[in-house]
Amino acid sequence: MGCVAVTGGKGGTGKSTVAVNVALAAAEYRDIVLADLDVEAPNDHILLNAELEGREEIRIMIPFIDYSKCVKCGTCAKVCDTGAILAPKGRYPFTLPRLCSGCRACYFACPTKAIAEGFKVIGYSYRTEITSGSKSLTLITGVLREGEEHVTPAVLATKDRALRESRDLLVIDTAAGSGNTVTASIDGSDLIIAVTEPTPLGVHDLELVLELASRLGIEALVVINKVGIGPKEKVVDIVVRHGAKIIAEVPYSKDIVKSYVKGVPIIEADPSNTIASKFRELGKYLSEVV
Amino acid sequence: MIEVAVASGKGGVGKSTVAASLAIHLSKQGYSVVLADADAEAPNAHLVLGINSWNEVRSYSEGYIARIDYSECTGCGRCAEVCAFKAVKYVGGRYVISELTCEGCLTCSLVCPESAISRTRVVAGEVKVVRRTRWGFPLVSSLLTLGRPNSGKLVTEVKNTARNLAADDSIIIIDSAAGIGCQVIASLAGAHMAVLIAEPTPASFSDLKRVHAVAKHFGIPSALIVNKSDINPDYTEVIIEYAKKEKIDFLGTIPYDEDIPKSLSLLKPPTEAFPQSPASKALRNIAGVFEERVLRNWSKWRYEFKPPEARPYVPIIIKPSEYSISGEVK
Repeated sequence: MGCVAVTGGKGGTGKSTVAVNVALAAAEYRDIVLADLDVEAPNDHILLNAELEGREEIRIMIPFIDYSKCVKCGTCAKVCDTGAILAPKGRYPFTLPRLCSGCRACYFACPTKAIAEGFKVIGYSYRTEITSGSKSLTLITGVLREGEEHVTPAVLATKDRALRESRDLLVIDTAAGSGNTVTASIDGSDLIIAVTEPTPLGVHDLELVLELASRLGIEALVVINKVGIGPKEKVVDIVVRHGAKIIAEVPYSKDIVKSYVKGVPIIEADPSNTIASKFRELGKYLSEVV
Repeated sequence: MIEVAVASGKGGVGKSTVAASLAIHLSKQGYSVVLADADAEAPNAHLVLGINSWNEVRSYSEGYIARIDYSECTGCGRCAEVCAFKAVKYVGGRYVISELTCEGCLTCSLVCPESAISRTRVVAGEVKVVRRTRWGFPLVSSLLTLGRPNSGKLVTEVKNTARNLAADDSIIIIDSAAGIGCQVIASLAGAHMAVLIAEPTPASFSDLKRVHAVAKHFGIPSALIVNKSDINPDYTEVIIEYAKKEKIDFLGTIPYDEDIPKSLSLLKPPTEAFPQSPASKALRNIAGVFEERVLRNWSKWRYEFKPPEARPYVPIIIKPSEYSISGEVK
């Protein structure tokens, strides 16, 4: 399965809009699965006006201590990287599930095998069949539980579920940022599409993402969104300097905001719009290259 | 000291612009202010202020990465099997630990039969400080080591640095990251209130409710600003209704205004680049409301808008199936 990840660094540049429209456009030619890996703020289903279905729990391991086997040695607490196990001297250890990242270090380190595997539900993944106009695709969405801080395992679990679909092409929508949730999302992709805007903020964060892509050895294409709100020369500079390529320039338009509010992607809401045709071209291009 | 976290869930709705405008306004009104950019993965507050040099840049070491000693490694692959973060891959005939995705839990080192895995301390990122911006207040920012974990701990370091620069009567304004995860939780933890920002779209509303749920976990009162309110006035009303119902103090709206991106391109805060533009007027107005209604009546305000009930985050726990011992989980 080919894989394209839509990312960008700065929030609100149009990652989800591009991902949703391009995935739908590509669905005309190929069998598409779209994965919303922005588990902290998942919005693709909202842009597609879809109710999420097919819920599965995303679980990570948390330790349960079998006090009949525990010898109070404190090893579990020593190996715990997140401070989720406390072992007061000479007393039985206890766990703080909120802090546990599910790494299993304690489980493997315990000399008396006194740790049993329990689980913590950190969020949910969903599988929703989307039909929009004549096109259809499968949307896999990850939703982190509010208050949970271990984001990466939720991203990885959602990505796994999407990869199990084995279609022609996986389109990934990532979170904002340039940290490991984005790394986990784009790692293994054939191509990234970095969506940016022509402002110093967009440029600053685009540079981080292009650098990340090059470290991972992934080719990067850039979509400049909201063209017209500022000078785009700096974006072009950064793109050239990183050996990336600008694949589309999308003008700022209130039409896109309207389609966004209505929950109908612009390629369906207003197919004759210039932005819609840009997204269609990009979708066709991806269905051919990946 | 009052710590105010500016958050939104969704990205690109105007957190940095509002945070910077608030800091400038309050500073001009004579308040002692510290601005902390708590978005270590995409730090932008300094750009809104047009800052490009720092008085201090120091690296912050936190956590480890695992390293394989290939003279000992037999290629058994146990490390890859147990890695919960999929950071070990088989590349070019051997197992390689990714320097980007390794979370430093060292679980691999515990299962390696050859003890071929050791740990190395890593730099989580940099903390950057401008001691005195042109408006008088300090700015603390950061930059995460690209692609790496630990952004939450870096945010905590930024906040601690900001606290050290603050006086007893200071207002610390924390410009949070998008999302509701590690970084945002680190921003909200210990904050005295949240200023939530939304734009009138269903996506932003959905994310607003999620970040508000996290604010409620911490039991802190929230205020709301609706940005770009005129792109969808009906939906703006929906969000304001939500605020009323949820006891969030509605501070005001900011209209969509092309002068905001223009001012960003000029590397000037909008209230200075285009002081007479509608958005600048709204930003000043909101800062004024914030000062009068929130800060001047702080003890009353925080009580009035405190979430009605404390709702701490409760993890959903599944016990091991064969588990019959009365081990308590606290």
